[in-house]
Amino acid sequence: MPLDTSAYNLALLRVDGRRWNELRRVHAQIRTQAAADGSSYLEMGHTKVMCVVTGPSEPGPRRGGAGAGGGGGSGGKDAEVAVSIVIAGFSSVDRKRHGKGDKRTLELQSTVSNALSASLHTHLFPHSQINISLHVLSQDGSLLAALINAATLACVDAGIPMTDYVAACTAGSTSTYAANDEAADPLLDLNHQEEQELPGLTVATLGNSDRVAVLVCESRVQVGRLEGMLAVGVDGCKQMREILDRVVREKGQRMIQEGTVERGVGLNDMDVD
Amino acid sequence: MTAATTTPEAAVGVLPRADGSAKYSHAGYTVTASVNGPIEAQRRDEHAYEAHVDVTVRPAAGVGATRERHLESILQSSLSQIILVKNFPRSVIQIVLQIEDSPENDYVNTKLVQASLNFAIMPALIQTAVLALLSAAVPMRATATATAVATVRQGGATKTIVDPSPREVETAQSVHVFAFTSHDELLLAESEGDFTVKEWDDSYETAKAICCRPEPTKEGIAMVLDDETTAGPDMRHFLRLAMETKVASDLYWK
Amino acid sequence: MPREAEPSLSERQFVLQALQENLRLDGRELDQYRPLELSFGDQYGVADVTFGRTRVLAKASAEVTVPYADRPLDGIFNIATELSPMASPAFEVNRPTETEILLSRLLEKTVRRSGALDTESLCLVAGQKCWSVRVDVHVLSHDGNLIDAACLAVVAALRHFRKPDTSIEGGVLTVYTAAEREAVPLSWLHSPFCVTWSFFGDEGETAVLDATRLEEQVRVASCTVSLNKHGEICQIAKLGGVPVDAVALLQCTAVALTKVKEFSELVDKKLAEDVKKRDKGGFMAELSAENER
Repeated sequence: MPLDTSAYNLALLRVDGRRWNELRRVHAQIRTQAAADGSSYLEMGHTKVMCVVTGPSEPGPRRGGAGAGGGGGSGGKDAEVAVSIVIAGFSSVDRKRHGKGDKRTLELQSTVSNALSASLHTHLFPHSQINISLHVLSQDGSLLAALINAATLACVDAGIPMTDYVAACTAGSTSTYAANDEAADPLLDLNHQEEQELPGLTVATLGNSDRVAVLVCESRVQVGRLEGMLAVGVDGCKQMREILDRVVREKGQRMIQEGTVERGVGLNDMDVD
Repeated sequence: MTAATTTPEAAVGVLPRADGSAKYSHAGYTVTASVNGPIEAQRRDEHAYEAHVDVTVRPAAGVGATRERHLESILQSSLSQIILVKNFPRSVIQIVLQIEDSPENDYVNTKLVQASLNFAIMPALIQTAVLALLSAAVPMRATATATAVATVRQGGATKTIVDPSPREVETAQSVHVFAFTSHDELLLAESEGDFTVKEWDDSYETAKAICCRPEPTKEGIAMVLDDETTAGPDMRHFLRLAMETKVASDLYWK
Repeated sequence: MPREAEPSLSERQFVLQALQENLRLDGRELDQYRPLELSFGDQYGVADVTFGRTRVLAKASAEVTVPYADRPLDGIFNIATELSPMASPAFEVNRPTETEILLSRLLEKTVRRSGALDTESLCLVAGQKCWSVRVDVHVLSHDGNLIDAACLAVVAALRHFRKPDTSIEGGVLTVYTAAEREAVPLSWLHSPFCVTWSFFGDEGETAVLDATRLEEQVRVASCTVSLNKHGEICQIAKLGGVPVDAVALLQCTAVALTKVKEFSELVDKKLAEDVKKRDKGGFMAELSAENER
């Protein structure tokens, strides 16, 4: 059941057979829903997330207090990024009902919203709203990372101008929280089992830079472990950006080949063969 | 259980961000109040001809329940009487009363998650609200003073206790809360328990003596009172003193 | 309720430009906290924390109840953070804002999930009786940096708190009132504190500690780090906002550790002072001697 750390020390292989710096298989698609302005489907290992973006559009009737109040609304100068996350009851092993007012879900929503609105050029769309709805179909660790990646892809599909990809992944450490063992290895992309047993964090960076948009750590860990975990996480985000970029480019190529879109001026640098 | 302070203490303007605020402690109760207003009203609270007085009572521990709502409704109707609500149509005067400390009954382990307030806290709430309203410069018809009186029957004789402790409230036959305006009018009378008209009259007189003592400057109008009733604090004088101290410290630079 | 007034354009420019020149409106250094005050109430478990014009009151309380069915060996521990209109008219009763949800999540992760309170020690009779400890956080005045102030207040209140003494004899649980036996402190394992950084500038290059409300309104990102004095991170939350350089975040964590050690010392000192104050009468000394078994 627990991650057998002794086995890890012998073979340097994790429970699912990965090495410390390996991502799980990432499968992503964009433009999965024809009706939506932008949509995506993303799998990181067994974590499966679907995302639909509508907008930028005129804001609908004001939803109850979520954006208003103490936090300070944008006052209509920038587009508001409204995120709603639905976690399916069948997504995890123990069937759980996730109510609408679940604080953890609300926190995830506000994190995804804040992370993306810093990268999206919201100032181009005053008095409007970008709706991102995320559906969690299956959970196996790195949920926040998957949500951010899926939302980024869907925003790209929706054609909303943005600075760069916001790519996210998780990193962990093989040390337990109390032990300050220097020998502890950092781990990349934690699955559910590792997330339960080991300290870990979620990092999201902007494009290829070292600039961190989201950093969430929810477990106890020695301060000395942070640097290693963060370095591995940032590196993983760069890998993730490449994967996301490839998905977008492949879809673009296919669409040109199929004749769905005209080959534009800006696409000249893409080799479409 | 005699540790409760017999002299009330008050500080006005304790919260820097609210329009008006006050902290008041008496008989073991400590209450902080903030007043914001008149502010823009939401559609559902809007009255076409007068201001809505919005009172929130928050217990120190636990979530507010029906008892707090009950206290809020009593306070709301009493305070609406003294605030000149007609001056501010379509607005809200928001009063938040945060209970910080209330005397504990050392002989009973109380359930705390379901906060339960009792009547004895009413005078402290009213007094704090009035002080905070004064500090927010909300126009009022009159100020108000309040006190709680408990009647205890001991072997046929009836005894009135001013500002009863929780222990005394528990053993008392009846508890009465009175509030008077500065024009000596009865603003609020709430009673709980089993009592006769005579007992109520006695309680009323006791409370009135505490709340409506004439200005000490007017000599010669010494009231004829029993020794027992003069023992209580002089609420009106106290209220005046609290405000005078605040004004004096504000105008210190002059 | 009315929305919080946003700072005007000139006000915003003024604050930001000053920060670019490493100046703050109240004359503090960028990594300096406002004057910090901590006081305890007459009752056990009441802590009042003041950071400049921000004031938070925390009250701890306990009662005996039935444990959750899936956790028969654990007590119940809750932190309630309900922001009242007292802090700002923008907060409404029974309608949590984003600020409130994030505050309650952060406190929960920092204090509860990091295992600061030993919940197993709250169990009285497995599966039947346990203590339910509750901390109510009351924000009396909100002038920025609620998170750090609230966390300090919660930790101080819990460490100051005493719950009634109990005994079990022959399966009968007796809870002693304060008059019968002196109350006992909670089993406390470590004291985590939050340190919140606010970032300013296009790339978040200016990092500032203990932002006032005005600064919070114009910041581009924030990062809350929770640590204890042993250098264990309990939680990090940079929930979006403008991306900040990873190395800068590491530096922020290192500085946060020194601040946490200062908080830790302050709470220890104030608790010791409070014990001394309470002990003065000799009455307490007598009681505790009586209770020694």
